[in-house]
Formats: sequence, structure tokens, C-alpha cells
Amino acid sequence: MPDGELHALHQQELRRGTIVLACLLILKRPNYGYALLDRLERHGFAVEANTLYPLLRRLEKQGLLTSDWNTDESRPRKFYRTSREGAALADALSLDWDEMYSAFQTLKEES
Amino acid sequence: MTATTPTLTDRYVDALVSRLPVKQRTDIEQELRASISDAVEHHIDAGKDPADAERAVLTELGDPARLAARYTDRSLQLIGPAVYLDYMRLLTTLLVIVVPVVAAVAGFTKLLSGQAAGIVITSTLGAAATTAIHIAFWTTLIFAFIERSSELRSATARQWTPDHLPEPSPTRRPHVATMIAEIVMAVLFAAFLLLSRTMSTQTDANGDPIEFLSPALWRDGPLYALLGIMAVGLVVTVAKTYMHWSAPVAVAGLVLNLAAAAVLVWLTSYDQLLNPAFMTAVGWPADVDRWIDLGLLIAAGIVALQGVAETVAAFVAKSFARPDWRALTHRVVDDIAEGLRRTKA
Repeated sequence: MPDGELHALHQQELRRGTIVLACLLILKRPNYGYALLDRLERHGFAVEANTLYPLLRRLEKQGLLTSDWNTDESRPRKFYRTSREGAALADALSLDWDEMYSAFQTLKEES
Repeated sequence: MTATTPTLTDRYVDALVSRLPVKQRTDIEQELRASISDAVEHHIDAGKDPADAERAVLTELGDPARLAARYTDRSLQLIGPAVYLDYMRLLTTLLVIVVPVVAAVAGFTKLLSGQAAGIVITSTLGAAATTAIHIAFWTTLIFAFIERSSELRSATARQWTPDHLPEPSPTRRPHVATMIAEIVMAVLFAAFLLLSRTMSTQTDANGDPIEFLSPALWRDGPLYALLGIMAVGLVVTVAKTYMHWSAPVAVAGLVLNLAAAAVLVWLTSYDQLLNPAFMTAVGWPADVDRWIDLGLLIAAGIVALQGVAETVAAFVAKSFARPDWRALTHRVVDDIAEGLRRTKA
């Protein structure tokens, strides 16, 4: 096992870009901020609340997410949902991820 | 607790919202309040005290100013990596060129108006400090502005190509022999100055030596200043010989040259450079001093010009290698001749 701090640092670098893809995949079914944070955590995508909430707004501004206020419950919540563009981007990014995975596989086989 | 006492969450949300554009305030506030309540509830369900839960959730969200900056994509750095190198290049170039020139002009102006040495030195240093602060402040302000405007930031970012590499110099370093010659000359000169206090070709009635130079020059300090400048100058010469390039050393060299020129001008402000008693003993005419004054002024001019020319050449070549002045002059003359031929044709 490598040095814990160093591992955490590089792990964070490695995971940085994956949060967006994870959000786009989870939000194919509408969900709100805190529940999304919870689900991400349970799936092993550690992300801070103060990173996720601004990220959701940025993705919405880029047209990858749409949002609606749900006032059915006592606490009004903003629900986000992956838009058509968002779903297309998620497919493309998933493909990139698969390619990267097989690239790593061949690398590991060669060495 | 009464209903009017703001909770920690109220204070947090206020601090955050005040940093957001008015249009987004209500929406972000409502969403964040809901998120905070959800998180607090989650903590309480896990068995936490409500006050502790609120505190923990807000601590996790962090400084509201930082969170607001994330919401608005605002830059949290004065000057970012995209423009930092250009900023440093411009700043050092301006400081290196403008500060010595302004300081020298201020110093010489005071000197020519016949001010005391102390005033000349303080106004020179004062002008240098004021100029440096102004340059640093305005350059930083401009680049902080560029950093905050995304259009300007992308417009100013230059593409680096290998053409930007510094020119190679034919000889990487000034010759060690030149350095040794300079050191020997300086030591001989310093020895001559210091020995002139106790040794002389002329003696008075008691058989004691008569000083060659006017004692006032030692009393007021210009000769000590000259010796000090020479001592520091030797260190700079050694540094220039063994270092490929260093902007601070180049600037130190220029400052020393200008300081030496200033001291030489300072010497000419004395009516008597040579000891009158010595002059009488040798039987030299009185106007020898005038010729020495003229010589000192010419020397001051040469020292100052040489300092500026060497420093500019060093900055252009990014190297302390002695510039090949002859080749440089030939090229300039050739260019002029070529230009003349074209205008005729």
C-alpha cells in the first residue's frame, strides 16, 4: 500500500472528472441536492457538498441538467434532471470511460 | 431563544447571499436552506444533538465567501497561472529599467542644485522606493483586472514557440582573466588611496609625510563611499563571471555603476581635491584641480554610460557574456549602408 496521503491526493485527481458523469447518470431520474449527495457517497463517489451544489448549477447553465421546484412536500426542494444533451454527453463520456478502461487493461497485460 | 434571534444557518445564508448577484439570490438561498435542513435532519436521525448537527453541517460547507465564489465562478486568486509569467516579466522589466533611471535623475538633480550629500542620498533612495511601489501597484492592478476578465485573459495569453528562447551567446562567460585584471586594478587603486594617508613623496618640517589628497575627502566620506562601491563591485564581477544570467545581479551592477558615477560627481563639488600643502610642497599650479574635476566628470559619464550599455546588452542577451561590440557596430553600419543603397536605387 502506498503512503496514505499520497494515495488520497492522486485518487482525488483520478476521480475529479468522474463526478460529472456520475451526476448525469444518476439524474436520469430526477433528484434533489442532498439526496444526490447521499447517493453519490453510497456509490463510492466522495464529493463535498460545497463542490456538488455549485456544480449542479453549472451543469444546468450548460444545458446538461434541467430543474424544477417541487412544492408537494412540506420542504420545497429543487429537483434536477438530466436533459437530452446531458444524456447524450453521459453516453459519450461513458464510452470514453470504457475506452480508457480497456486501454488500462492492455497496458497491464503488456507489462 | 426568541423567534427573532437569527440561527447560525440564517447568518450563514446571509453571508453567502450577500456575495451573489441579485438575480440568483432567492433561488440559491431556498435550495441551500433545504439542503442544510436535509443534512441537519440526517445528522439528528443519526443521534446527534440539533445544535451540534447544524454546526457540523455548516462547518462542512465551509467559508461562505468561498462557496459564493464557486456559485459565481469568481476567481479566488489575484493573478492566476494564465497571466502570472507575463506579469512577472513585465514587472521585472519595468522595475529594472525605470527605477534606476528615475533614481539617477532625482539624485543628479539634487546634486547639481548643490544639496548636501545626505539629502542627495535620501532623495535618490526615496525616488527609487516611490517609483518601485508605483510600478508594482499599477502593474498588479492591471493584471488583477485582466485575470478577472475572461476575454482579456485569453487575448493576452501568448503562444510560446521555441523562437522565444534567449539568443545563444558566442562566449558563455566573460573571461576569467578579465575578472582577475579587474580585481587586481581595484585592489591596487584601493591600496593607493589608503596608503596615501600615511605615505607621501613629500614631508613637512617635522619629517612627517604630507597627504596627497585633501583631508576633507576622507572626513566627509566620498572616498570611503568609493571604496565601498568598489568592494561590492568586485563581488558583482565575480558573480557575473560564474553565473550565466541573473536579473538581480545585473541590476546590482547597474546600480553600482550609477552610484560610482554619483560619487565621482560628488568629488568634483570640492574646491580642493588635492591637499593644498602637498601642492605647495611639489610646486604644482592651482588649476591642476580644475583639470582633475574635468577628468572626474568625463570618468563619471563613461562609468554611467558603460553601466547602462552593459546592463541593457545583458538583458537583451539574457547573459553576462561580454557583448561583441565590434560585431554589433559592424551590423548596424551594414544595415545603414544597405538602407542608403535602397533609397538611392
